[in-house]
Amino acid sequence: MEAALSEPPDWLERIVLLAIPPAAREAVAGDLWETYQNPQQYIVEAFRTVPLVIASQMRRNLNLPALMLQSALIFICLGGPATLLLLPALLLRDAYQPVARPCPRRAIREAILLSSGAMVLLLLIMSIHSPFPIRTGVDPFTWLSLFLAALFLSPFLCLFRAGLIMQADRCKPLAANDVSKDALAGAYENFLRGAFCRNMLEGVALVFAAAVGFFFTWNFLLVGLFALAAIYLLLDSLPRPSSVCDFGSLRAQYQRELARQGQLRRFLRWLWFAPVLVALHARLTEVPAGAEAVTALLNCVAVAILCFLVAALNREHGGRVQEQIGFLDRMRETVTPASLPSPSSASR
Amino acid sequence: MDSLGQFEQIVLTAILALDANAYGVTIHAKVEDLSRPKKATRGAVYATLDRMEDKGLISSWLSEPTKERGGRSRRHYRIEKSGEKALRESARTAQRLVETIAQNLGGLAWKPR
Repeated sequence: MEAALSEPPDWLERIVLLAIPPAAREAVAGDLWETYQNPQQYIVEAFRTVPLVIASQMRRNLNLPALMLQSALIFICLGGPATLLLLPALLLRDAYQPVARPCPRRAIREAILLSSGAMVLLLLIMSIHSPFPIRTGVDPFTWLSLFLAALFLSPFLCLFRAGLIMQADRCKPLAANDVSKDALAGAYENFLRGAFCRNMLEGVALVFAAAVGFFFTWNFLLVGLFALAAIYLLLDSLPRPSSVCDFGSLRAQYQRELARQGQLRRFLRWLWFAPVLVALHARLTEVPAGAEAVTALLNCVAVAILCFLVAALNREHGGRVQEQIGFLDRMRETVTPASLPSPSSASR
Repeated sequence: MDSLGQFEQIVLTAILALDANAYGVTIHAKVEDLSRPKKATRGAVYATLDRMEDKGLISSWLSEPTKERGGRSRRHYRIEKSGEKALRESARTAQRLVETIAQNLGGLAWKPR
């Protein structure tokens, strides 16, 4: 291909870059740049390309079980109209999944913002519904606990986020940029072994949770979901025959498995969190008269914090998976003497 | 194994023909050439490439960043074994179609290489 005669204006390129989902940004923006002729052509080409790239990324990153679970939780807590409004937002969020872990500063800022918001809301409720005299059905001890919880919320969330960042930093990255096929196969085998062990353990834990849920008469839909997830995980832990392939195919196989396990973990984190959310919602429907507004607000704060914790786990882990996939994308094969063809086979 | 759609066949053939030089821009150019007189948008090519990669028919990797792309990498594609198999199957079907059409309408002399 010929080198581009000129380059797109900086502002225009920035807008297009923002519109392209991160996973496809490098290749699509590069292709648009390479074929740039003038701003009009660039805009037309971007309009014809980007919507289909977004749709493709939506399909690629769609985690149907997780999406259905999230929609069900939103439906239970907020009702039908909110679900219809939030569903496209969830799909778009999947398409724009970041290709790296969030930077520590941003992660901590989010934790502080959420805890500050929760604290302001709690203090606001306390100022409107004064604990003395007791009018709202909430006793002063509860108010005091809430006040203390609000005070310690910010350090707790920041510590949790910092812990996640440090834990992800400690994880060993994939080997060097140039690796042999055998080294890549070894790394892939290790990853598969780890994933199968984790799936087995989590499958057993889910069976236990489903049994406990059945015994304590949880929501039957949730018990069924736990049981189904456990069966899937236990079946997924069975060893599979490995196929012999070259470096490129092995890399593609590794990337697909990384993405699949990442999607699975994302769904499971939401599944573990679902009973807590359903319990909070059930508690909301059983509050004494006069305390509905306060309890509803407190539940909202609790749900927001729980969602933050699960989303933080998913973003940290999902970012790490995307980083590994990106690292594999740039990996080159080093040719070892053993993998070189012998002169006799080369002359054939 | 899933059978290939017509556009998938064209994109796979383009990757096969381009060999080591198969990336977004060149694949799109080749697809436009192969699907004449129909036009194909680059977005449709990307979506098809993504879908075929998820099916394991092709694989991709990023090249070194280049200056003519504003310091960005190219995403190169190549056909996997399953892709080759699917393309051969499609070619055989196309061959049968051409033979049947030629028998009934005449004038279509096509011999696969």
